[in-house]
Amino acid sequence: MLYVKELYKSYEAGKNRYEVLKGIDFHVAQGEFVAVMGPSGSGKTTLLNCISCYIPFDKGNIRLGGMELAGMNEEELARVRNTKIGFVFQDFMLLDGLTIRENVLVPRIVQEEVPAEAEKLADQLASMFGIGHILNKYPAEISGGEKQRAAVARSLINNPLIILADEPTGNLDSKSSRAVIETFINAKQKMHATIFMVTHDSFAASFCDRVILLKDGTIYRQLEKAQERGAFQDQLLDEIKKMGQED
Amino acid sequence: MSQIRNMTQMERKLQRADRKQSRLYLFCNFMALMIISAYSALMLSPTVQKVFPKGGDSAKQMYMIFVMTLVGCVVFTVYALGLFFRHKSGQLGILMALGASRKRLAPGLYREVVFLSGVSAIAGTAAGFPFVWVIWHAFRLLLVDSSDMVLTFDFRCLFISLLFLLLVVGFACLTAWRYLKKTNIMEVIREEHINEPVKEPGRWCGPVGFLLILTGAVLGYGAPWACHAWFYMFPPVWVSIFYAPVFVGLYMVMLHTVVHGWKSRRKNPYKNIISRSMMKFQGKQTVNNLLVVTLLIAGGCFAIFYLPTNAVSALVHYASQPYDYFYQYQADQNVPDREDVETLGKGYGLSFKDWKECSCVTLGIGGINEIYEEDGLRYHVEYVPMLQEARVLSEDAYRTLTGQEVDVKPGTYMSLTNREETSLSANNSAREITNMVTRKQLATEFAGFLHYDLLAKEIPVCVLDNEDYAAISEGLTDDWRGQFVSFNVDGEDSYPFANAFYHLFVSSFDESCARGSYYDRVQKIRENEAGKEYWGDTDDMTTISYELSDSFVFRQFWVYQPDFRILNQNDYMRSMAVMLMMFLFIFLVCMITALVVCYTRCQSIALNNRYIFDDLKKLGASPAFLDREVRSQCGNVFRVPSLVGTSAMFLLYSMILYANDGRMLPTEWMSLGVCLCVTAMIGGVIYAVYRSTVKAIKGQLGIV
Repeated sequence: MLYVKELYKSYEAGKNRYEVLKGIDFHVAQGEFVAVMGPSGSGKTTLLNCISCYIPFDKGNIRLGGMELAGMNEEELARVRNTKIGFVFQDFMLLDGLTIRENVLVPRIVQEEVPAEAEKLADQLASMFGIGHILNKYPAEISGGEKQRAAVARSLINNPLIILADEPTGNLDSKSSRAVIETFINAKQKMHATIFMVTHDSFAASFCDRVILLKDGTIYRQLEKAQERGAFQDQLLDEIKKMGQED
Repeated sequence: MSQIRNMTQMERKLQRADRKQSRLYLFCNFMALMIISAYSALMLSPTVQKVFPKGGDSAKQMYMIFVMTLVGCVVFTVYALGLFFRHKSGQLGILMALGASRKRLAPGLYREVVFLSGVSAIAGTAAGFPFVWVIWHAFRLLLVDSSDMVLTFDFRCLFISLLFLLLVVGFACLTAWRYLKKTNIMEVIREEHINEPVKEPGRWCGPVGFLLILTGAVLGYGAPWACHAWFYMFPPVWVSIFYAPVFVGLYMVMLHTVVHGWKSRRKNPYKNIISRSMMKFQGKQTVNNLLVVTLLIAGGCFAIFYLPTNAVSALVHYASQPYDYFYQYQADQNVPDREDVETLGKGYGLSFKDWKECSCVTLGIGGINEIYEEDGLRYHVEYVPMLQEARVLSEDAYRTLTGQEVDVKPGTYMSLTNREETSLSANNSAREITNMVTRKQLATEFAGFLHYDLLAKEIPVCVLDNEDYAAISEGLTDDWRGQFVSFNVDGEDSYPFANAFYHLFVSSFDESCARGSYYDRVQKIRENEAGKEYWGDTDDMTTISYELSDSFVFRQFWVYQPDFRILNQNDYMRSMAVMLMMFLFIFLVCMITALVVCYTRCQSIALNNRYIFDDLKKLGASPAFLDREVRSQCGNVFRVPSLVGTSAMFLLYSMILYANDGRMLPTEWMSLGVCLCVTAMIGGVIYAVYRSTVKAIKGQLGIV
C-alpha cells in the first residue's frame, strides 16, 4: 500500500541546514493501522507532511497504491491528495463557515458536483461516528472531540487508500481521544481503512497494529502488537524510556 | 440535505462567513481610493489650478504632499490586502490539503479579490467627489467664501484614481497568484499564525535614524541651492533624492521604537516586556504602519503650517505699513484725483491727512540675467543692458513720499528693498538706465539700498539724483510716466469706503493696464526687437481681468494692485481663500488617513494577539495590567509617529524660515509660535482618537 524508501528531508534556517529525515525506510500494508512515535524533533510530522505531499522532500521514494509520488506535478499531486489520501489534523482544520455536513463533503466538493450518493455516504459516516445529530451545526458550536470525528468522516468521504493523521488526539481530553481512536478502529474494521498516525500518546498508539519509533530522523525500532492493548502500551512506554536513556 | 453542491456555492458561502475580514479590506480600500480621488479632484480642479501659480512653491508643496499621501495609501492598501490574505490563507491551505488544485481554486479566488478590490475602489473613487464637495462647501459655509471658491472639477483627475484602482486590483491578483503558487501547503495553512519579526538592530539604530533625518533635511533643502550656487544649474527633479536619508532615518527610528522602545530598561528590564514583544513579533507590519502614519502626519503638518506662516507675515505687513492707503497708476489713466477721493470719503464720514503725491517714470534698467544653456538645465549669467523695467523716482520725490532723507550722487542709483532686505526684485547690478521712448541711456552704478516696504514689490524701484532723473525722463510719453499716492485716514478707517474706493480705482483703468506685475514691457520690447515672441504674450501669462477684481489672481498679480490696509486686512481670508482652504483640505485628508491607519493597526493588534490577552488573563493578570498593555501598544502606534511627524515638520519649517535669509525675523518667530499652538491642537485630536481606540479595543478584548 505505502512504501517509503530512503527518504531524506532537510530544512534551511539562515545559513544552517538541518537534516530532519535521514533515510527512512518502511511500508504500510492494506488495512493496517500504524502509528509513528518519537520525541519532539524526531521528524514525525515532517515524515507525515512528506507522505501527504504537503512539503517537498530532498530525495527518496514514496509509493502509494503503486504510484510514485516523487516527480508528480502539482495537478497530479492535488488529485492524489484528494482521492487517494484522507487527512486528519491535530487542530481539526474544519472550515468555520461551513456546517459539519458541508465540511465532511469538502473533498467531494473540490472534485466535482456533489452526487446524491456522496451525501448519503456523509450521513452514513456521521451516524457511524456518532455525529449524525450535529451535521447541521457549525464547528464553533460543537466540542473538540466532535470536530475530530467530523474530520475523520471527512477523511473517508472519498474512500481513500490511506488515512494520514497528525496527532489526532493532541488537542483532546481523554474521553474525546478515546472516541476518536474508536472512530479509527471503526473505519478500519467496517471500511477496511488503512491508517497511518503520528502521535505522542502511547494510549492512542496502543490501539495500533504496529508502532514505528523515530529518533533523530531515523527509525529506532518497529514494534508489532502481539498482545492485548494494555501490555502493548507498557511495552511502548518501556521502549520509549530506553530510547531516552540511550542519549 | 446539504445545500452546497459545487465549488462556486462553497466559495460563496465561505465569503459570506468571512464578511468581517472582507469588510476591513473593503473599508481600507474604499478610504484609500476616496482620499486619492478627493485629493486629485481638488488638486486638478480648475478652481485650484487657476489660483496656484504654475511651478510656484505652494503648488510644489501641494504636489509633494499628494505624492506622500499616495505612498501612504499604497502602503495602507497593501497592508490591508496582506491582512485579508493572512486570514484567507488558512482557508486556502485547508482546501489545498484536501486536494483542491490551483486550477480549481484560482477562478474563485481571483473572482473574489477582483470583486472586493474593484467594488471598493470604484465606490471609493466615486465617493471622493461628494466628499470633496461636502468639505469644500462646509469651508465656504463656515469659514470663508469668495467668487474664487466656486468648485468645478476637471474629470481628467479620474485618470489618477483609475491608475490607483488598476494598481490595487493588479496587486490583489498578484498576491492571489503568489499564494496559489506556493508548494509548501503547511506554510499556507500556518501563514495566519506566522509572525514577522524584524531583525533586531542595536540601540544605535534610533539615534542614527534621527541623525539621518537631520542630514537628509539639510541635504535635501540645500541641494537646489548648491545647484544654483556651484553648478549654475536649475535643480533637476532628481535632486529630491537628497531627501532620501530622511526616509531611511524615519524607518530606523520606527524600527528602534518597535524593537527597543525609547524608555530605559536598566531599572526594570521586564517592564512592558509583553507589549514590546507583541510589537516586535509583528515588526515588519508595525514598522511599515508607523512609517506611513509618520509621513502622513508630517504631510498634514507641512500643509497646515502654511496657513499661519502665510497669514502672520501678511497681517503683520499690513499692520506695519506707514499709510492707510498707498497706490500708483500710469499717467495716461483717468484715476480719481484727490478731490474725487475726498468727496467719496465724505460719503462715508471720513476725512484724510498726510496726503502725499509724487511722480515717477518707468525706465529700462540693466542687470545680470540667467541665460539657459541648450540642455535647458544649466545656465550662465550674462549682463543685459535692457533687462527689465523699473519704477524710477527722483531724490525729491522719494523724500516727499517716504519722508526719508536721501542723497544720491550723480551717475549712481539706489535700489529699494524692504526692511529685512529680502526683496527679490531689488536690482544692484545695473550699469545703465534706458529711456524706452527716446532710447537715451544714462550710465549708472549701484550706490546702495533704501528701505521702504511699500515700494519693495515685484517691480524694481530705483532713486536717481534729481538732475539725472530729469535728463533721462525727458521725452517719455504718459504710458511710461506714473504717480505714487499715499494718505492716512483722520480717525478710524472704514472698510466700506476702502471697498468702494478700490472698485472705483480699478474701474478707472483701461485695458492697456490689464496686465500682471510679471508682464515686463522692457523685456517685451527687447524680445520683439530680437525677432522673438515675448512669453508674456503667450498663453503662459496669467490673465488679468477687471471683472474679477476681487479674485485671488487679480489681487495677487495685477500690476497696479493698491495697498489699502483695511481692505487687505479684511479681505485677506477671502482673497487667499482657495489657497488656504486647499491646504486645510490637504491637512484634513492626511490626518484622516493617518488616524484610520492607526485605528486599523490597533484593531489588528487586538485581533492578532487576542489569544495572548486570554492567556494573560488565565495567568492572573489584573485588569489594570491588561489595560496598561493595551495602552502601551496603542500608545506606541499613535504617539511615536505623531511626535516624530510633527516635530520633524516643525524643525523643517524652522530651518526653511531660517535658511531663506540666514536669520529669523520677528514675523517668522510669531509664525513658529502659531505653528506650535497648531501642533498642540493636532496632538489633542490625536490623543482623543487614541483614547477612543483604546476604549474600543478594551471592549473587544473584554478588559473591564
